[in-house]
Amino acid sequence: MRMRLRLKTVFVLYFMVSLLGLIYALMQLGQRCDCRGHAMSKDQQISQLRGELQKLQEHIKTELSKKTDVPKIYVITPTYARLVQKAELTRLSHTFLHVPQLHWIVVEDAPQPTPLVTDFLAASGLTYAHLHKLTPKDRKLQEGDPSWLKPRGAEQRNEGLRWLREMGAAAEGKEAAALEEAVVYFADDDNTYSLQLFEEMRYTYRVSVWPVGLVGGMKFERPVVEDGKVVRFHTGWHPNRPFPIDMAGFAVSLRLILTNPQARFDGDAQMGFLESSFLQHLVTMDDFEPKADLCTKVLVWHTRTEKPKMKREDALQKQGLGSDPDVEV
Amino acid sequence: MPKRRDILAIVLIVLPWTLLITVWHQSAIAPLLAIRKGTNDGTETRHDTGPATDSKEYCSQDKDIVEVVRTEYVYTRPPPWSDVLPTIHVITPTYSRPVQKAELTRLANTFLHVPNLHWILVEDSQRRTPLVTRLLRETGLNYTHLNVETPRNYKLRGDMRDPRIPRGTMQRNLALRWLRETFNSNSSQAGIVYFADDDNTYSLELFEEMRSTRKVSVWPVAFVGGLRYESPKVNAAGKVYGWKTVFDPHRPFAIDMAGFAINLRLILFKPQAYFKLRGVKGGYQESSLLRELVTLNDLEPKAANCTKILVWHTRTEKPVLVNEGKKGFTDPNVEI
Repeated sequence: MRMRLRLKTVFVLYFMVSLLGLIYALMQLGQRCDCRGHAMSKDQQISQLRGELQKLQEHIKTELSKKTDVPKIYVITPTYARLVQKAELTRLSHTFLHVPQLHWIVVEDAPQPTPLVTDFLAASGLTYAHLHKLTPKDRKLQEGDPSWLKPRGAEQRNEGLRWLREMGAAAEGKEAAALEEAVVYFADDDNTYSLQLFEEMRYTYRVSVWPVGLVGGMKFERPVVEDGKVVRFHTGWHPNRPFPIDMAGFAVSLRLILTNPQARFDGDAQMGFLESSFLQHLVTMDDFEPKADLCTKVLVWHTRTEKPKMKREDALQKQGLGSDPDVEV
Repeated sequence: MPKRRDILAIVLIVLPWTLLITVWHQSAIAPLLAIRKGTNDGTETRHDTGPATDSKEYCSQDKDIVEVVRTEYVYTRPPPWSDVLPTIHVITPTYSRPVQKAELTRLANTFLHVPNLHWILVEDSQRRTPLVTRLLRETGLNYTHLNVETPRNYKLRGDMRDPRIPRGTMQRNLALRWLRETFNSNSSQAGIVYFADDDNTYSLELFEEMRSTRKVSVWPVAFVGGLRYESPKVNAAGKVYGWKTVFDPHRPFAIDMAGFAINLRLILFKPQAYFKLRGVKGGYQESSLLRELVTLNDLEPKAANCTKILVWHTRTEKPVLVNEGKKGFTDPNVEI
């Protein structure tokens, strides 16, 4: 009799425990996934999820566009007419469209704005300023010159700085206050920029720096940081430059530019010294703010695009049978 | 009487467990396990639930891939998935080299603007590399990550261009096979397949042009064939009748990989159509696939009857890494 009773209680206990466990598990499942087959059809479920997704994304979008309180980033891009120009500007604009509060200052190396760039910028969806400044003939690279012979883009970048200074002088009140926090970045049209880079540079007090990939004959060049300060630069090419850093490797606060009206790029500077010619007016190495995880991550790459081979086009053009020049490439 | 009681007791013990097992089976766990195992080629597909949950469990066999909303500050979300737009499946073969991460980054920045885009990235490698895995995850794009290694004899050796062995062929074929295994021809999944190399430049307009493809659509491509652009020849009736190229215009389809898109239904309808691997002359790779799918008459010209350039066959220079020297100057742990 005793044995039986014991067994009975054991069974009852076991039954209760397993039932409770089952209920608990079902409740867990029920919360996590609504796809229990008969309850809701799959399509209903999908559209319900999508609806929710859309709502949330709309919410995030409106939040993003409300993001007017983050410091502006002014990106100065010198550009010049060549076959790949439109392609380069196109993919660059795709990157910039993701960055809030970005103002693109495009400076053409041309006597006047070209229709290609004018139309392109108008259709891009970006906030932009379209400038132009022709490089004097003696400073310009000639056809066949290697790219390292003369520094390129100095006049155009200076023109961008001039425009910023003009804007700074004219601004007042809230606008002027916003300019105090803004940041200026020099972005060439053939480099590659990650989106994170812009968030790293957004809060720059003086001059912030970070590594640049695929430059200086190496996988990357970077500032060397010790105790949170930049002590030297890790580069294999002319490390004895005052600032052995690439144009894509630093950003300057607009405030610093506005308070140093003499700071500009020296178009006569030796190749590789262009950045130094500008930065030496503004900071010393101690003032550099290291970004990108204390300069250990590569967030920008100094890519270069090949010049497309035009042998057949040239041959055709000689015969007067070249491709339709009205088709913009 | 005791016997009945015993039977009752046994039933009461077994019942909860059978209930549990059946319900568990129907629930998310089974598909989750299936996904985790993956297929033979080692695929990783992105199936995520809506924003309400961030748990690891996925809802059952949801072929309508719903991408998760990311709250990171870095990337904006891809546009909301639409019920109406056909999905564009972009097949990109890629391989490791110094500029790879840069190329994929700027490509991703472009794709993030295109609604209903599904990126099928196929690595030419033995295993899926951490670099690409991480990159794909961080973009927030809807993607499928595959890999297949081109056997040594097929690979291009260094800079020597052997035009008989086109690069990326095995990778593109693997993606086609994945599509055929994933989608069955009866499904109402509207999709377009596009082959996008990782160094080209694509305008956003291009993707909207290709979305209306019924069979195979074509358009001009800049910087190919030694010309400013190559283009299909379109007659007054809006039909393609030839090719405006200098390099072998008598190829069945004298068009670059970036110059056409195929409707997914056609890919599924002709499951034997693949890019030819061996014995393909330079410039004939595209023809090796297209001739099994369409005739010239079926081609749909896009980009304003093939008068606008919406895609550029750009090539990125190989970076000169002389200063790395033999032992490497920079920290090899830093990813570029």
